[in-house]
Amino acid sequence: MAKKILLIDDDPDFIEINKTILESGGYVTDTAGSSAEALAKIRANEYDLVIIDLIMEELDSGFTIAYNIRDSARTRDWPILMLTSVQEKTGFSFDLAKDQAWMKVDDFAAKPLRPAELLQRIAALLRE
Amino acid sequence: MTIKKGEILVIDDEEVIRSGCQQILEMSGYSVAVAENGRVGLDKIIQHDYDIILTDIMMPEMDGMELLDEIGRLGKELVVIVITGYATLDNAITAGRKGAYDYLPKPFNPDELLAKIERGLDYRAHLREVQLLRQDRDRNMLECSNERARTLTIINSMSEGVLAINRQGQIVLMNPMASKIMRLSEERAIGRTVDEIVRNPDLKKSIVASLQEVQAELSSTRLEFDTVYGRAIEASITPIIDENKECIGTVAVLIDVTEDKKIEKMKSDFVSYVAHELKAPLGAIEGYLNLILDGITADKPQTEHEMIEKARDRAHGLIALINDLLDLSRTDRKKSLKEMHAIDVEKVVREAVEFYRNRAEARSQHLTVQVDGQMPLIRANEEDLFRLYANLISNAIKYTPENGDVRVEIKRTKSHVRVDVIDTGIGISGEAQKHIFDEFYRAQNAVDKKITGTGLGLSIAKKIAEDHHGYIDVTSEEGVGSTFRVTLPIIQDE
Repeated sequence: MAKKILLIDDDPDFIEINKTILESGGYVTDTAGSSAEALAKIRANEYDLVIIDLIMEELDSGFTIAYNIRDSARTRDWPILMLTSVQEKTGFSFDLAKDQAWMKVDDFAAKPLRPAELLQRIAALLRE
Repeated sequence: MTIKKGEILVIDDEEVIRSGCQQILEMSGYSVAVAENGRVGLDKIIQHDYDIILTDIMMPEMDGMELLDEIGRLGKELVVIVITGYATLDNAITAGRKGAYDYLPKPFNPDELLAKIERGLDYRAHLREVQLLRQDRDRNMLECSNERARTLTIINSMSEGVLAINRQGQIVLMNPMASKIMRLSEERAIGRTVDEIVRNPDLKKSIVASLQEVQAELSSTRLEFDTVYGRAIEASITPIIDENKECIGTVAVLIDVTEDKKIEKMKSDFVSYVAHELKAPLGAIEGYLNLILDGITADKPQTEHEMIEKARDRAHGLIALINDLLDLSRTDRKKSLKEMHAIDVEKVVREAVEFYRNRAEARSQHLTVQVDGQMPLIRANEEDLFRLYANLISNAIKYTPENGDVRVEIKRTKSHVRVDVIDTGIGISGEAQKHIFDEFYRAQNAVDKKITGTGLGLSIAKKIAEDHHGYIDVTSEEGVGSTFRVTLPIIQDE
C-alpha cells in the first residue's frame, strides 16, 4: 500500500511542487496550508511521514507542530522532515548532532530540494 | 607743588578746625575733603575711598561714634582717627572698639596732626596689602570650589553611569546614572566595597582585576552584561594611575544599551524577514524549474505550462517586493536629504489616479475623483506623496472585485488636507486592521483569495504620511469595503 505523506507549507507553490514530486514517487499526499489546519489533520488522520515548513505564521511554527507530533503516543514515531528556505537566519544550527536532543525532527533540508534528493531522503526516513 | 600723598576726609562741626586741618594737610601735599557733620561725612565715604578719615566725636546730626558704627556697617576697612576735646580714656576705648585706628586729643599742633596722619597712612598701606592678599586667596578658593563644583555637575549630569573606586575597593563616587543603573542610592554606596554592592560577577571581577593593575599605561577593560532588572549594560573599566605609576583606584563607566540592543534586534529581525521573503519566491521558481528540468512532469505538458506561469508570477512578485524594499529604504532616508516643496495635492492625486486608470478599467471598475473646492498647498516631497496615494489607489483596485467602485475624495479642513480612498472591496477584519500598517503583514482574507502583495505598501504609505507630519488611518468592514484616509497639514500663512 502506498505510504501517505502530510505536506505542511503556507506557500501554495511549495505545496504544489512537493506534491508533484511525491506523487511522481508513488506516494499519496495530503496538504495543510497553516499550523491550525496541520494540527487538525494530524489529530484526525494517520500518516507515514510529515514534511513541515519551518517558518509559517511564526518563525518557529514548524517546531510547534513537531513538538505536537512527538507529544502524542499515537503520532510519536512518525518521521518528520523539516524544510526551510532561510536556515542560516533562524538561529538554529541545523546540525542534527547538536540539536536533535531537543529539536524533535528526523531530518531537515533547505528549500527547494531537487526532486531526486527529496525522494531519496523520504525513502531513507521510511526505511524503504 | 608736592605730589598728593593721600586723600583725607576731615569731619568736624567747627569750621576753624576743618579749615585749619585742611590747610596744614594740603601744605604737606595731602588732598583734603571736608564735611561738617557725620551724616555729610558718611555720604562722602560711601561715594569715595579716602585713605584717612579724621573725625570729631561731638557733632550734630550724626556724631563720631555713630559714624564709626555706620562705617563698620559699610564693611569698608577705613583708617579712622578720632579727634575730641574730651580726651578721656573712655572715649578712646569706645572709639577703638568701634574700629577707630587712632585718637587725636584737642588741642593739637600741626606736627602732632601730621605725625598721626603719617602713621595712619602706614597702617593704611599695610591694610591694603593684607586686603589684596586676602582677595587673592579668596579668588583662588572660589576658583577651587567652582572647579570642583563644575566637575561634579558635569559628572552628575552625564548620561553614562560613573563609579569611582579607591584602592581598597571602596566606592568613592557614584553619579545619579550609575545609581539608576545599579538601583542603589549614592548614600548607601559610598564607602562600601565593590564586593558588597556590585552584583554582577563579571563587573565585580573586572573592577577587582583593574585595581591590581601593575603596568603603567592606561588599559581599559570593556564588558557587556545584563542586570538582574533586564537592562543591557556596557561597562568600561579604567585604572587610575598616579604620577608614580601606581594604581590608586579605578573608574567604571556604565552605559545602558538596552534600547540600542532593541533597535539592533529589530534591524536583524527585519533582515531575516526580508531574506525569507526574498528566498521564498526564488525557491518556488527553482522548485518549478527542477520539476520541469528533472522530467518529473515530462508526460504532462499542460501542467508544465501552468508551472511556468506560476514561476513567472513568483518572479513578478519578487520584482514588486524589491521595488517596495527600495521604496522603503528611500522613505527611511534622512528627511533632511529630501527636497520639500509647496505641492498641490489635487494634482498629485489626479496623477496617481491616471497612472492606475487602465488597471481599473481592465477590471471594469469605476475610478473617480471628487474634489471639495479649491485645495491649498502642502509642504511635501512630490515623489513620496505620489507613492503614498499610488499605493492606496492600487490597493483599492487590487482588493476590489470587478465592477466595483474606487472613489478618491479630497477635502480640506482648517489646517489639513484629507484624501480618502474608498473602495467596495473585500474589506479588512477588525483584528487585521490593527496590523495592516505593519511591515510584511498581510490580511488573511487577502491571502485566502490569493491576491498577491508584499505586505509593504501600507507600511510605506504610513511612513510617508508621518514624515510629512500627517497620519493615515483605516475604517473597513469585511465584505463591504475599506476607506483609507490620509490627513496632511497645509502650509500656514506666515
